[in-house]
Amino acid sequence: MLDLQGIAKHFGGVHAVDGVDLTVKRGEILGLIGPNGSGKSTIVNLVSGLFPLTSGRILFDGDDISDLPSHARVGLGIARTFQNIRLFGQLSVWQNLWVAQNSRLQRQEIFFKRWFGGSAGVQAEIERTLEFFDLAHKRDELAANLSFGEQRRLEFARAISARPSLLLLDEPAAGMNAEEVDQLDARIRKMRDDGFTVLLIEHHVELVMSVADRIAVLNFGRKIAEGSPAAVQDDVAVREAYLGTR
Amino acid sequence: MDFYLGLAQVIGVHTLLGLSAYCVLLTGQVSLAQAAFFAVGAYVAAILTVIFKWHLFAALGVSAVVSGLTACAVGFPALRVKGLMLVVATLAFGEAVRLFFFNFTYQIQAGELKIGPHGAEGFRQIRYFPEHGWSTFDVLVFIWLMVAMVMACLWWLDQSRAGAVMRAVGEDEVAAHSSGINVTAVKVSAMTIGGVIAGIGGGIFAHYTTHIEHVQFGVILATFAIAYPILGGLSNVFGTLLAVIFIQGFLIEGLRFLGDWRNLLFGALIVLAMNLRPRGFLDSGGVASLKRMLFARKESSGA
Repeated sequence: MLDLQGIAKHFGGVHAVDGVDLTVKRGEILGLIGPNGSGKSTIVNLVSGLFPLTSGRILFDGDDISDLPSHARVGLGIARTFQNIRLFGQLSVWQNLWVAQNSRLQRQEIFFKRWFGGSAGVQAEIERTLEFFDLAHKRDELAANLSFGEQRRLEFARAISARPSLLLLDEPAAGMNAEEVDQLDARIRKMRDDGFTVLLIEHHVELVMSVADRIAVLNFGRKIAEGSPAAVQDDVAVREAYLGTR
Repeated sequence: MDFYLGLAQVIGVHTLLGLSAYCVLLTGQVSLAQAAFFAVGAYVAAILTVIFKWHLFAALGVSAVVSGLTACAVGFPALRVKGLMLVVATLAFGEAVRLFFFNFTYQIQAGELKIGPHGAEGFRQIRYFPEHGWSTFDVLVFIWLMVAMVMACLWWLDQSRAGAVMRAVGEDEVAAHSSGINVTAVKVSAMTIGGVIAGIGGGIFAHYTTHIEHVQFGVILATFAIAYPILGGLSNVFGTLLAVIFIQGFLIEGLRFLGDWRNLLFGALIVLAMNLRPRGFLDSGGVASLKRMLFARKESSGA
């Protein structure tokens, strides 16, 4: 479904991502791990269109999306969350999901209704999403007033509410306690069962190992391993990247 | 009495100017071009009624459209830059427009006089209201009907998804982009709506002052335009109205008896106001507590 072909991103002399090939198959959870600065977040930013590519191509469902702007990629079905939460703080929880209904609505509704009317279908959908993320009781609260864990959930919910087919999660477990990580684990699995494809970037190794179908490992902007969680754990290059050579 | 009618007219027209900036500020853009759109509206409407003898309503419609198109055209290049760079870009545009009208002469012979804009001398004899028998009071009612209409439209826009999206863009452009919002389109639309409102305001301004010239549309006016919504707060349109009343009614006219001291106090009072209410007169917290107060009163009276 998502096909990265030799993508590279150079910031001046820094080769943040240096020729990575990676394929995400429909319906799987692909974990992307690697030490700090190995280029994981840069890959998410490249796929979501925040930065232009230095070289390479990004294919989504077979189409080259390398030159599309971010919002158009969301329209095609690629949504993301951020490592450092980025919510619309002065909007209510409900409004945060409302504004993200863009891509879905664009396909269905006429201009006026999309921007100025409310439609019952959309409202029911938002309510369901809030319910799923256990935020329904906070629907009128300003996003800035939520607790950290709630903000993480709301950002996840906002990404989901655009009904993407591919979800890019950039360190969703950062700063979470054990209980919250368990809930996150369950939600990600549920997402996959509902037909989402997930690219999960995570430092929390336990979570990745438990939830991912396949894992790819980056180091210094290059892919050094790819395979099942068990195979990756035993890989010599991966051990060296994380622990150093003996 | 005439003094108060005149003051009420000024407040009405400046509210339109402030609302045009309010709309742009919602998307997080600080634009110093609002005075220029106001000027375009003023000149276009006045030329249409004076030289082409159009009806005022038609002239205001056209001035709104022309200002809106100007704003849209400026929006595309200007909104590529952000923050201070945008301030500088729009300031430069505003000055360019002012200098254009400084040099703009387009006059026709009407009986013994020449009418129409005449460069640095400005555009005199915009006598639509007296010629058509509108009293000061009629004009006042008309101005406030327009203000009410624009405020109602913006209120409705604010409640809609479009309003929420504009605020989302103002909060965090990257997050808005990643939520599927075409940020450029939203910003240019807001700029266009702001231009339309400024065009209407400028058109009305030209007709009640009867004489416009380039100096009226300089940096001072542009600064006032953004000061109103910032001082008033961006939680809803009434903040801007309150700020206009505060600045025009209280600071400028109310303190006139202080003579030269007024200018000193003017700045000090604005600083004080912003310190007491850093998010503007009407911020979201203020609105919430106001609602609670009204709600509580209703409950107690019902009991």
